[in-house]
Amino acid sequence: MEEIRTGVYICHCGLTIAGVVNVEELTEYAESLPNVVVSREYRYMCSDPGQDLIKKDIKELGLNRVVVASCSPRMHEPTFRKTVEDGGLNPYLYEHANIREHCSWVHDDKELATKKSKDLVRAAVKRVFHHESLVTREIPLNPNVLVIGGGIAGMQAALDIADGHNKVYLVERDPSIGGHMAQLDRTFPTLDCSECILTPKMGDVGHHPFIELLTYSEVEEVSGSIGDFKVKVRKKARHIDESKCIGCNLCEEKCPWKTDSEFEAGMAKRKAVYIPFAQAIPNIAVVDADLCAYIQSDGKKCGACIKLCDAGAITPETLLKQTDEIVELEVGTIIVATGYDQFDPSVIPQYGYKKYDNVLTGLEFERITCAAGPTEGKIVTKDGRPVESIGIVHCVGSRDENYHEYCSRVCCMYGLKYAHLSKEMANADVYEFYIDMRCFGEGYEEFYKRLSEEGVNFVRGKVARITDEAQTDEEQGKLIVVSEDTLLGKMIRVPVDMVILCSALEARSDAENVGKVFNINRRADGFFLERHVKLDPVATPTDGVYIAGCCEAPRDIPDTVAQAEAAAGKALSLISKGTVTLEAAISTVDEAICHGCGRCEEICAFSAPNVVTKNGTLVSSVNEALCKGCGSCAVVCPTGAIAIKHFTQDEILAQVSALTEA
Amino acid sequence: MMAGFEPQIIAFCCNWCTYAAADLAGTSRMHYPPNVRIVRVMCSGMVDPIYVLKAFEGGVDGILVAGCHLTDCHYIDGPVKCDETVNKLREVLHVLGLEDKRLRREMVAASEGVLFAQVINEMVEDLKKLGPSPFKAKTEALA
Amino acid sequence: MEVLSPYKEATDVILEAGGEPLKLCYQCGLCTGTCPWNTVRSFIVRRMMREAQMGATDFGSEDVWTCVTCRACVKRCPRGVEIIDVIRAIRRAVASMGIGVVPDALRISAKNIAGVGNPLGEAPEKRNDWAGELKVKDFAPGTDVLYFPCCVPSYDPDVKGVARSTAAILDKLGVDYGLIGTDAKCCGEAIRKAGHEETFQSLAQSNINLFTESGVKTVLVSSPHCYHTFKAEYPELGGQYEVVHVTQYLAELIEKGDLKFSRKLEKKVIYSDPCYLGRHNDIYDEPRAVLKAIPGVELLEFPDAREEGLCCGGGGGRIWMDTPKGERFSDIRTEQAAEMGAEVIAVACPYCVLNYRDSVLSMGKGEAIQVKDVAELVAEAI
Repeated sequence: MEEIRTGVYICHCGLTIAGVVNVEELTEYAESLPNVVVSREYRYMCSDPGQDLIKKDIKELGLNRVVVASCSPRMHEPTFRKTVEDGGLNPYLYEHANIREHCSWVHDDKELATKKSKDLVRAAVKRVFHHESLVTREIPLNPNVLVIGGGIAGMQAALDIADGHNKVYLVERDPSIGGHMAQLDRTFPTLDCSECILTPKMGDVGHHPFIELLTYSEVEEVSGSIGDFKVKVRKKARHIDESKCIGCNLCEEKCPWKTDSEFEAGMAKRKAVYIPFAQAIPNIAVVDADLCAYIQSDGKKCGACIKLCDAGAITPETLLKQTDEIVELEVGTIIVATGYDQFDPSVIPQYGYKKYDNVLTGLEFERITCAAGPTEGKIVTKDGRPVESIGIVHCVGSRDENYHEYCSRVCCMYGLKYAHLSKEMANADVYEFYIDMRCFGEGYEEFYKRLSEEGVNFVRGKVARITDEAQTDEEQGKLIVVSEDTLLGKMIRVPVDMVILCSALEARSDAENVGKVFNINRRADGFFLERHVKLDPVATPTDGVYIAGCCEAPRDIPDTVAQAEAAAGKALSLISKGTVTLEAAISTVDEAICHGCGRCEEICAFSAPNVVTKNGTLVSSVNEALCKGCGSCAVVCPTGAIAIKHFTQDEILAQVSALTEA
Repeated sequence: MMAGFEPQIIAFCCNWCTYAAADLAGTSRMHYPPNVRIVRVMCSGMVDPIYVLKAFEGGVDGILVAGCHLTDCHYIDGPVKCDETVNKLREVLHVLGLEDKRLRREMVAASEGVLFAQVINEMVEDLKKLGPSPFKAKTEALA
Repeated sequence: MEVLSPYKEATDVILEAGGEPLKLCYQCGLCTGTCPWNTVRSFIVRRMMREAQMGATDFGSEDVWTCVTCRACVKRCPRGVEIIDVIRAIRRAVASMGIGVVPDALRISAKNIAGVGNPLGEAPEKRNDWAGELKVKDFAPGTDVLYFPCCVPSYDPDVKGVARSTAAILDKLGVDYGLIGTDAKCCGEAIRKAGHEETFQSLAQSNINLFTESGVKTVLVSSPHCYHTFKAEYPELGGQYEVVHVTQYLAELIEKGDLKFSRKLEKKVIYSDPCYLGRHNDIYDEPRAVLKAIPGVELLEFPDAREEGLCCGGGGGRIWMDTPKGERFSDIRTEQAAEMGAEVIAVACPYCVLNYRDSVLSMGKGEAIQVKDVAELVAEAI
């Protein structure tokens, strides 16, 4: 056997490690360990000069094993494997010791942190001794991409990818694409009309030769892995012949069955057969089966739409017989852009949402100011009175540990937008109740200044309650916003005609399920967790699955679009390479000791091992394309014949025994 | 309880969830006692009973086996397999006369940095009450 | 021009006295807006937090003693600041270091508690005299339940009925219960909130020793204040008991079918949530279940009930201090109750009994409205 020659490299990480761990002492200690030929410390091992040190030592000192002690391997193990490979070694002859996240950042006793670092380095040195050269495998990548969610994020990502002549499947749950942005009236700080900038994009998506749109559809199951995902999509029954519907809307006009319109945030009605909004893509009707009397009565009642549809798109057949369809797709990468829900302020009873007619959420106010909305763009109370004064309440459901601890990021700005619209459209007195104004984007602070010029009253204080109990004549018939003006140090009562609650953006109510389908973790706040908050913001721990937009955190339109383009870039870079490198650390069978008992075959969740007959004896054989390297087969193997490369018993026991030598 | 006794803990953490949770505890600068050493495994279902037994034999005072929650597993059902391993181990430890609290099984998701720190804090507290592992005394006597 | 230099020592005094949660405050003012005082007078809670953060606390200010510790602000605080702990720390700094003035009324109660173990200044040996002819036995090792009525029902002739009714119910049900000896002292909850930490520590230690020697396992209490301190504060000092409030105990007996009523009470009853039962300990349903079970009772609810319930004004040591007419919460509540046509204001706390009875009398509503503890109503109906 060749002599094992190990190099150990200790990173200071500036002062983040060196400020707590005595790196000189650690380096000296490492040099004393068996098989260690050289041990060095450097301010930033991940920098080019740091990596060069390693490469140089491999060549000049004939190293055949390398250990770096620095940050988490989840951050820089790939970096140093590459370094080792560039230096001429197999990248698997490398081991990483985490002395930052697991040591210097969580401990402050320097002596104990140094001792712990020594233990971790010793364990890494003993483990790397057993490492073997492994060969990674390349498989072809399916260039098709699946995008989930047809809001601005999903549309932008789909367009970027499709414009590069790659096939995109865009799956949207609702009958039309457009998402929340389609419901918005104007966008801050430029005040351009949301529809005007969104609908051309919706049209592009609808007509794009490389985009296949699956609206009114939901992903049910995802299997496979990067490069080769298999996806089952449930295409819900529209109860319409999609190929015949011309979007004339006659059916909706005549349908007698009504319910609250989702698009109009419940402020107007829609019918049982409907097109969600005028610019819907695809512009075809959908039947709400729960509401349709014809479907509910099994064809005995109503049927008005059937008679009216000249195109023959609605027939007894489509209404009664059409069922959900399961579409199976094969894609190489997935982008999840499922968006957000608006926080429901009715859980804060003192704000009187749903109790008082004129306490509204942001989305409701968007529809009020929209020329195509339920009030045709007039700011009026529920009973049609003009609005002379408006209270705008910030941080509803956000920056509050009783609801959501995070800052919802968009509310300050959309609150300012409402203030402007209230001034411009209704010449109303505006009272903006805030805790801190957060106006950080391009042109945002300038917008804040502009609103000050327009005469908005800014009151610093978190609103305590909204009531209709008048104490003075002036308050009669008004809603009274009660708060401390913290800058005056006095309680104030402001009578207004309308209150807008700047409700937080929150994770969608089904985020947990979506997370399970795509194997994406969630943060404690419920949003999807990115692989690295700074350096890998659109990737997830699952290779080939990316996230964009408000499913990851509350963000405004510019940030959402930028993130969608980033996710598209990730997918495009994979497509451009054309292959996927698969993990080499998978299971392997020592046929000399395997009895072919089949325990591995039973336990494997991926059906990777199979017992076969070789040379007349039963042995297990592993399908490398299926094995994910989870290691459960090795645990149950009675003879120790099956092992996971890079995580063999020898390797882990070497590490464990090194840790028990104190 | 022994004065000044600092228990030695090895934590087997799955790469996807609990190892990431420990990273998060780090990036969030949550402090916990330096008694724990983490061994990264790809899946909690990969933890072989021999690893735990060897670690106890080597004299550690407590062992944590932690990974994804049942529904978060990267490999579909690793936590179930891990539970089976730990349950079998408990019987063995019982025969060996090791207290139940010396082996802790947890599911800690990548977002649960706070929980990771809390588990370590609790283990250190529990093990301080239990005192050194009886195996440690034997190992030291032999040495 | 007056320029403030942050006076770190003053902040440190408050932090050391238990005001640590202060650091989290981001000055939104929701506490001020939530505080019931601001419906009758100005009390800028947020400013107290700010002054404490910056070492600018005016230890001589009347505001130091204003808070009734009703917990309404704490429940809503977006940063989870334990505002009551901060106020307690400020008071503690005044009381123990003499850097301000303790109000006279509070000083007398504090002296009584420290001296004879009850705020009324009554003789310790008379603690169990309320029972009179009921002949309640002394608690001895092996007795199931210790009944601890609180100092107010023990000594105050107007509130004795609470304890006597409770004893009568327990007797009728054949519960094995007893009273602790006359060495027992005030539980110390309110005097601790009033900043007298050392007094509290000594009361608590004395009671814990007595309970432990006597082998107490279960304590039945009439006062939510006793409930709170026994349940939440004594365990840290080594006293671990099962603590049960009378309304919880009765609700369970009713649910099991062990408590049966024989008389009807044809009354409109409105229930006022005591802060230390409700917001401090989340007990809202049991008292209501007991009242609803009494035949004939029509239970009314204040518009601001349960989590939103208005304090009677007696918490945090305010029970011993005078509140000017026009600023009394119990007056507001009594007015509300009268408007709603209630004939009985039901409460479950001796401090509430005191404050409401005072309000009803001083407002001349004695004919129309009675104030009753839940236990008193139950005793009337069995």
